Amino acid sequence: MTAGKTKTRLNIGADPREFQKRPSWTNEDILGLLDEEDGTLDPRIYTDEDLYRLEQERVFGRAWILLGHETHVPKPGDFLTTYMGEDPVILVRQKDKSLRVFLNQCPHRGMRICRTDGGNAKSFTCSYHGWAYDLGGNLINVPYESEAFCSDFNKSEWGPTHARVETYKGLVFANWDKNAPTLLEYLSDATYYMDHMLDRTPAGTEVIGGMQKWIIPCNWKFAAEQFCSDMYHAGTVSHLSGIEAGLPEGMELSDAKIPTVGYQFRAKWGGHGTGFYVGEPGMLLAIMGPKVTEYLTDSEAASRAEQHLGSAERARQLMVQHMTVFPTCSFLPGINTVRTWQPRGPHETEIWAFTVVDADAPEEVKEEYRRQTLRTFSAGGVFEQDDGENWVEIQSVLRGHQARKRRFNIQMGKGRSGVGNKDFPGSIGYVYNEEAARGLYRQWIRMMTEPSWETLGP
Amino acid sequence: MAFEKVCNLEDVSEGEALQIETFEEAIAVYNVGGQIFATQDRCTHGDWSLADGFLEDGVIECTLHWGKFCVRTGKVKAPPACDPLTIYPVEVRGGEIFVDYEAGKVGE
Ligand code: FES
Ligand SMILES: [Fe+2]
Repeated sequence: MTAGKTKTRLNIGADPREFQKRPSWTNEDILGLLDEEDGTLDPRIYTDEDLYRLEQERVFGRAWILLGHETHVPKPGDFLTTYMGEDPVILVRQKDKSLRVFLNQCPHRGMRICRTDGGNAKSFTCSYHGWAYDLGGNLINVPYESEAFCSDFNKSEWGPTHARVETYKGLVFANWDKNAPTLLEYLSDATYYMDHMLDRTPAGTEVIGGMQKWIIPCNWKFAAEQFCSDMYHAGTVSHLSGIEAGLPEGMELSDAKIPTVGYQFRAKWGGHGTGFYVGEPGMLLAIMGPKVTEYLTDSEAASRAEQHLGSAERARQLMVQHMTVFPTCSFLPGINTVRTWQPRGPHETEIWAFTVVDADAPEEVKEEYRRQTLRTFSAGGVFEQDDGENWVEIQSVLRGHQARKRRFNIQMGKGRSGVGNKDFPGSIGYVYNEEAARGLYRQWIRMMTEPSWETLGP
Repeated sequence: MAFEKVCNLEDVSEGEALQIETFEEAIAVYNVGGQIFATQDRCTHGDWSLADGFLEDGVIECTLHWGKFCVRTGKVKAPPACDPLTIYPVEVRGGEIFVDYEAGKVGE
């Protein structure tokens, strides 16, 4: 009898009397995946095939998705082929300088209309039977149209599906849903924090050539969540070896002190989040080297940024900022890597990354950004490896049935956020926090369960 | 024989083509290494401007279905095009390009 009094803390095994029912995912089930009160998260959001299918429709079919930067396609006819979720799209600069986005699928028999990564085009011709489309995505030529098609065939009805396209300070986003809010409404109060990268100078930003793409075997949400909400891994152990190995010449490890002051922000609507240190440049110096650190904190450009942003704290003292715009647009202001996490099934993600710089930065600073982001955050970047190793290992562990049954802890900072200050407004908490992650998953759950923008909208 | 001015030489740089719309049917004027040629602008295969195409070694490639033509002779150089282009006599006088539209004839 005495043994019965000792409550075991071990969570041992299953109750094997019943097989788990194949989940059909009612709204109630989905709502149960995140418990913000308790701070727990069901890991099946990273592994379940049915949830993944629903997510393509309910999240990627309705959210604003980052496609690239305006300077990827500066001239009329410039185009980029990319994705919105699993749907391939073409982004094209029009003759009147506006942008169009349409599904990269020929409505004849479904072939991919354009098969190259990007370039400059006068028109797009399907390589199967030669249906041809103009830059605006209108069907303009059908071989043997009069000889072979019936008299009521109407080319204007057979162009590809179009998406809405809007930009925020150089970043290009698209959305399939005609009822979705405008991009600006969707970004909500997160724009203020995006400006730390996009609006340091009236000249704006430009992209440093092209797009790096690589594949890692993990769910996109690990990456999106980390950029949204996880300074903890950077301030604890994940990147220690990377920092040690890449320390700039003459810099002592004691100079790369891990900062202790900083904030995390959760957008009031939309699942966007960010976090950053304030004050100590040691970690930034260890990641990006002296040239970039000086440019950001102590240069003519830094003074101009201070004026332009109206705050020395925001322009010069904010360090190593991480940020996600829900769902898959992530970037690191100051480090300036920008990426879209492209979902490829629950267990795989394609990362499409590029680097931006202030358009009026000196050439040597632009070149240093190119070198440093290649070294740190890119297919072969040292910090990218650290992050990817963690996400991929978690995904691998989640092959296990027991592993999928164990809810994760997402409690950090719970109930401790308050209103910020004049420099950092909005819902603000300590830099080591999971409040923004809870925001991201809350938005994911809302999009997965609320069919109408009337309830879902900001 | 009536040559009419269509544009200035400097309007068509080397390796480029220019669409001219002054006649009944549009024509394309090409600059091949400093030599000027003119053909009908509309591809004989699909309804598309050849001046929008790619000019390489005196051969114009239509961007719609990749048919090719010799701009000097009008001859077909790649399928799916089957019919040659109409070509027009050209004269260059003092930096200006003249074309005899009436004298156009179907190429080989
Ligand atoms: S599938 Fe595109 S033309 Fe037939
Ligand atoms: Fe990281």
